[in-house]
Amino acid sequence: MKEIVFSGFGGQGVLTSGLIVSDIAASKDLKVTWMPSYGSAMRGGTANCTVKYGESKIYNPSLEEPDLLLAMNNPSFKAFINRVKPGGVVLINSELVTCKTDDREDVHIISIPCNQIANNLDHPKGANIVMTGAIVKLMNDFDKNEAISAMTKMFAKKGKNRFQEKNQLAFEAGFNFV
Amino acid sequence: MGKTRKTPSIIDKPMNFCPGCGHGIIIRLICEVLEELGQDNNVIFPIGVGCSSNLGGGLVADRFHCSHGRAAAVASGMKAVSPENIIVSYQGDGDAYSIGIAETINAAYRNENITVVTVNNTNFGMTGGQMSWTTMPKQKTTTSQLGRDCDKTGYPMKFPELVASQFNIAYAARGSVHSPASINKTKSYIKKAIESQMNNEGYSVVEVMSPCPVNWNMTPVEAMDRIKNELIDYFELGEFKQREVIK
Amino acid sequence: MGEMWKGNHAIAEAAVRAGCRLYAGYPITPSTEIMEYLSARLPEVGGSFIQAESELAGINMIIGGAACGYRSLTASSGPGISLKQEGMSVLADEELSAVVINVVRYGNGLGTLYSAQCDYHRETKGGGNGDYRVIVLCPSSIQEAIEHVFLAYDLAEKYRMVAMIMTEGALGQMMEPIEMPDFIEKKRMPWALDGHYSYKKIGIFDRNSMKEAIDLNQKYNTIKENEQRWESDNLDKADYVFVSYGLPGESTKGAVEQLRDEGYQVGFIRPITAWPYPEKAFNLINPNVKGIITVESNATGQMVDDAALSIKKTKRDKNVPTYCLPYVYGIPAIKEIKKDFMKILSGEIKEVY
Repeated sequence: MKEIVFSGFGGQGVLTSGLIVSDIAASKDLKVTWMPSYGSAMRGGTANCTVKYGESKIYNPSLEEPDLLLAMNNPSFKAFINRVKPGGVVLINSELVTCKTDDREDVHIISIPCNQIANNLDHPKGANIVMTGAIVKLMNDFDKNEAISAMTKMFAKKGKNRFQEKNQLAFEAGFNFV
Repeated sequence: MGKTRKTPSIIDKPMNFCPGCGHGIIIRLICEVLEELGQDNNVIFPIGVGCSSNLGGGLVADRFHCSHGRAAAVASGMKAVSPENIIVSYQGDGDAYSIGIAETINAAYRNENITVVTVNNTNFGMTGGQMSWTTMPKQKTTTSQLGRDCDKTGYPMKFPELVASQFNIAYAARGSVHSPASINKTKSYIKKAIESQMNNEGYSVVEVMSPCPVNWNMTPVEAMDRIKNELIDYFELGEFKQREVIK
Repeated sequence: MGEMWKGNHAIAEAAVRAGCRLYAGYPITPSTEIMEYLSARLPEVGGSFIQAESELAGINMIIGGAACGYRSLTASSGPGISLKQEGMSVLADEELSAVVINVVRYGNGLGTLYSAQCDYHRETKGGGNGDYRVIVLCPSSIQEAIEHVFLAYDLAEKYRMVAMIMTEGALGQMMEPIEMPDFIEKKRMPWALDGHYSYKKIGIFDRNSMKEAIDLNQKYNTIKENEQRWESDNLDKADYVFVSYGLPGESTKGAVEQLRDEGYQVGFIRPITAWPYPEKAFNLINPNVKGIITVESNATGQMVDDAALSIKKTKRDKNVPTYCLPYVYGIPAIKEIKKDFMKILSGEIKEVY
């Protein structure tokens, strides 16, 4: 079973990024849970969700010990860095995570300038998709094309498929970056 | 030659009201109107708590005894699932305007297609004559023993005027039962209210001034006179809202 | 492949498919998505949605819908369900069937928004005035919550009473892949008010309260006999039996699995009905059991009372210690449960009963 925490400011698309990974896992008939922060926790401007997936039963959908942390800003990094499993991966938005990041030597820090990459693709709202591509690559559980196809289906289901081409480019950019 | 008035068929036995009470007249008027409109076998009464509860014992009609003050909310739920039925809530002033003011006023606010009949006897009758939100200034009750001090307890509420002036409703009126003429007028108000529901026009309310001789410490005749001489100066009789129906 | 659904949305759609024709309620986190969803969905299928001025009005609207014999629903959380107790007592008194959903959040008074199991006592012991019972179902997954919507209506109608689904904030907010069942057609109940006085009712002052109370209690005893539901494993061999429901119940199952792998003789009971409490599950427990351990998401330890009474009833000759691990709110992590189990073994955590 794999556990990923997606965290950032509200509006950075971390819940959506978690949903995309969940849908990719569901499309492979894996067990999946997606657990968001909610209520007043949403109002302060931070958002996070925990996604778990795997072949076997998921006994607890809430945050325990993530294999991967996506931190899109400083508060998210600080909130979750000490929860990451030893040997785990921390993926940071290098433009907004500016705090000291090398306190833990037992995790792999990977920095991606996701906003810049998204802007270069003329898709400024696609920074979360760039990160999603990177996460899929880092987790190494899903084939790239299957993942893109599951993402496309998810957006289509929500009636939000007008960015389909750009989302695919953003996903590939993230996937290829790492 | 006098008319023969037969008892409406849905009234099957006497109800337990005190001598000189107005409730019996009002329930009879509602039943007569329902029969005249062909709705007496198509009605559900959500009933309030208080003397109005006695309606439940004397009619062969669908009714539901609601918890105190909630009849308008129950009526809203009934009409939502069963719009073909005529829904008439039957409540006292304490039930509808004190404990139930939120439910009563919000049903009007939403313009629910229901009819609310409130019996205003200016006190809580069933529990022995306590002050209600329609008790008159200086009126003595068991909880305003020196006479109601309106500066401390509020002034008597005029509900039909309130909803007629503030909300998008179909019909609002106030009648009385202190004289044959006022009884006939009240019957015409109840009829218009139920017709407005049949026409799907929305919320209708008829408040009826009603004597409570036992708690007013009066004879039945004195109680009728109190309505005529004192109450209807403050609680004006008439129609406050009537809708133009575009056929 | 199952489709990802949010718990609250899935419950709402399940209600529509189970034939619900009226929703009335008031917004409160973390239950609000149920009413948001139904505000658009019910009118599509010919149902009605009323945004009530309060939870009190909401439950009374449901009383209206239920009295007219249609499947009706209200949902809320913590303090909102407090306001509904008056109406739930009325539904019990009038023997009307309705479904109420509590998406439980932690705390007294206004409380918090954290996912919890702090309303166990209120939901299982009555809550409103009087001498009545409510069937309480506690799902531990979104798929089970969907099944419970159908089951709740069936039980509510079979016994003419309120069935509550006691879910949790986290279960309402999370998503899982699920399979949505087909629509069923529901007719008006035969005992409904239909305006024609088809179902005769005696006047309120002519009721025989003594007979009614005895009949009602008989009904509750029948339910206790027939409707206990639970999931369990390894009870006949276990030295220690964990008892936990809902999402903490799943986490407990995970802890039990790991502890067994590590050589401990443990088992679990996951109550699916919190009322009637699954006493019969305790019959299956090893006669030489050393302890019962409840895992709860509240601070005071609530279900531990029922677990202790149940083990006393089924093992009368033994004085089996009953422990409680109360994690206040949230879903306890598997490793926390295991750590605390070791404290029970070492004597650091004492029994409650």
